[in-house]
Amino acid sequence: MDAYLIAIAIITAIYVLMALGLNLQYGLTGLVNFGVVGFFCVGAYTTAILSQKGVPQYITFPLAALLAMAFAWPLGLVSIRLREDYFAIVSLGFSEVVRLVATSEGWLTQGVQGIPGIPKMFGTFSGTTQALAVLGLLVVFNLVAIAAMLRIVRSPFGRMIEAIRDNEEAVKALGKDPAGFKIQVLVLGSALTGLAGAAYAHYIGFISPEQFIPLITFQIWMAIIMGGVGRISGALVGAIILMVFLEGSRFLRDVMPFISEVAMASVRLGVVGLALVLFTMYRPQGLMGDFTRK
Amino acid sequence: MSGFLELAISGLMSGLVIGLAALALTLVFGVARFANAATGDFMTIGAYAAVFGFTATGSIVIGGLLGLFIGAVSGVISYFLVFRVLEGRPSVSALLASIGVGFIIRSVLGVIYGHGQQVFQLPLVRPWRYFDVRIQPNDLKIGATALLALLVVFLVLHATPIGRRMRAVADDPMLARVSGIAPRKVMFALWAMSGAVAALAGVLLGIRTVIWPEMGWEMLIPVFAAAVLGGIGHPVGAVLAGVILGVVQEIATPYVGFTYKLALAFIILLVVLLVRPKGLFGRVEGVR
Repeated sequence: MDAYLIAIAIITAIYVLMALGLNLQYGLTGLVNFGVVGFFCVGAYTTAILSQKGVPQYITFPLAALLAMAFAWPLGLVSIRLREDYFAIVSLGFSEVVRLVATSEGWLTQGVQGIPGIPKMFGTFSGTTQALAVLGLLVVFNLVAIAAMLRIVRSPFGRMIEAIRDNEEAVKALGKDPAGFKIQVLVLGSALTGLAGAAYAHYIGFISPEQFIPLITFQIWMAIIMGGVGRISGALVGAIILMVFLEGSRFLRDVMPFISEVAMASVRLGVVGLALVLFTMYRPQGLMGDFTRK
Repeated sequence: MSGFLELAISGLMSGLVIGLAALALTLVFGVARFANAATGDFMTIGAYAAVFGFTATGSIVIGGLLGLFIGAVSGVISYFLVFRVLEGRPSVSALLASIGVGFIIRSVLGVIYGHGQQVFQLPLVRPWRYFDVRIQPNDLKIGATALLALLVVFLVLHATPIGRRMRAVADDPMLARVSGIAPRKVMFALWAMSGAVAALAGVLLGIRTVIWPEMGWEMLIPVFAAAVLGGIGHPVGAVLAGVILGVVQEIATPYVGFTYKLALAFIILLVVLLVRPKGLFGRVEGVR
């Protein structure tokens, strides 16, 4: 039971990291990034491929974040000046192309077979100690990310990105260039997502392209919208709701085995869709959001 | 050379399908001002409804008409339940909601039909040969159907009162309103038309390939690329751009490989957005 709870906590922590990245991008800056899973995928594959070659993890983790940033930067350069809904579709396309490359370039990624046997984190420990160490590391990642974000919110940079979210035209009128700030935010948020991808790869131990479908992106969107857009507590609460929902649907299947795994996957998809629709319609500020603002 | 021509013809057909779907996307964009990410899933609904009608009656025409009808109904329902409520909100809300609507549609189809593939059990016909070029008679019928549908849509848009109102709302919603055009009626007609056109694209795609719950969603990037290339909100442009995109994708297949078709659409989308974001026929009104 302990092992199970720790496993849940680890996955939740990975989701929180992604939700924090998206919260920085959408919640604070208003950047509609539909390509979250693309950066997650880049991070996961970077560390998996390098680990196979025997590169130690204290090098592959930073490289995973760096490579995710390296993908975010050119994407931002070419598309961030577009209308926000154009950027959304372009980033969605980006994540699909990343998955396509992971599927097709077998020499690098082993294609659809995926990469098995990715070494565990803290491999020198074993059992509960190892799991707790992984959880500890992820909590540290999250705390650092949250601390950084709190600093950002109170800094001139934070005021600028929030101003961009609230009224981009006004920011332009003040002689600032929103695009530069948005690119920085995209790159920063992607670093968190890439890091989450690396942690995911080492924790699960096996990655294949079909784990990086757009559904993951929209699960994270569901998390931050349900939790509360633009709030750090929102990212946390949202990730926990997401985890409860995903694990809960697994239990439901244990209780009702007549529902096939395929049907359950469809039901999960539908619930994510329903949550997106209902929350954008009736409660765009989320559960933890500002109750007074509409 | 004949291989090249065959690819071009095949591209023309898949281009017409993309063009129809891009027309559905661009119709909604022109009036409701958001990119409806559920367009692809309306295609899927149409295809499933058509298969249902086809297996029940054995007639592809009745099946196709059922597909169109169900597509139109789905469009109207999604407008009535979701997008009507989101009018006047930032376009991101509607975009996000349309993703959700698409998920719900795929979820329902997945629960009912599972994730297996279905096909239209059409009799195999020997391809015709003209100077060494093979032509599938089915392809010709698909092309003719698509062209007929386009003709109908453009007649509706340009020769009927409701079409004139639609264009008026697309041009300037406020001006249309003060001229006494009831926006609701126009929106219902628009969503019905968009749903039906998307569904037809799905039916034709289903006849050419296979039917499964993700078939429409996978078309979203090419369809959006075609809508942008044609100048978003521009119906003729969307169709022409769809055909161009289809032909380019098909002709490039021997060089870039089958798997990178989607990547090609993505790159075309990026290039268009960078070089000419208003598309081939877009209005001067900037989209950047």
